Amino acid sequence: MKTSNIIEYERNQINELSKYQLPNRFKTIGMAILILSFLGLISIVFMSETNELITEISKKGILIGMLLISISKDKIEDEMTAALRSKSYSIAFISGVLYTLIMPYVDYSVSSVVNSGGEVLKDLGDFQILIFMLMIQLLFFHTLKRAS
Amino acid sequence: MKNIVKVQRAILDITQEELAKKIGVSRQTINSIEKNRYVPSTVLALKLSQVFGIPVNEFFSLTEED
Repeated sequence: MKTSNIIEYERNQINELSKYQLPNRFKTIGMAILILSFLGLISIVFMSETNELITEISKKGILIGMLLISISKDKIEDEMTAALRSKSYSIAFISGVLYTLIMPYVDYSVSSVVNSGGEVLKDLGDFQILIFMLMIQLLFFHTLKRAS
Repeated sequence: MKNIVKVQRAILDITQEELAKKIGVSRQTINSIEKNRYVPSTVLALKLSQVFGIPVNEFFSLTEED
């Protein structure tokens, strides 16, 4: 296969991948999953013993719900919405990397001060990083839309 | 980039909503273009040109910053 054909094939594949968006109705579905999962997570507080299964399902549900909201189209999805969406993903990605790099040291410093030493430096969990990135994306997307 | 989309729209006597429908975008996008907060793509500029019946460079022009 010629190099130009490979590049053309790659370009087409990437174009296909970039059509990831879901119809607008998935925003409502995502919101419902998010609320139910959030209620699930809150209900654990009132339980006498911690339920790992409900905690895990709720956490995954929150991420799936937020992802559905994030990748669902607006009622009128035009080129300006696409540009703002793209900007919000860039901000979320960069913030996510910085948060992952900096936050363990902030956690360590704060808990060292509060507990007077003896703390161990720990990396962030996947849930904490992903929820942060999704929250930043959704927040910036709505802020950018409001400001435009 | 500055534009006179608002003036051209007034000449046609149509609302932002009506213009948005004609070129398949949201009213907010038209509002952002009119306020110079968003620079549209060539495709959108040409669609506006079709609606206004004048060339693109008659309602979009470069500023010193560009």
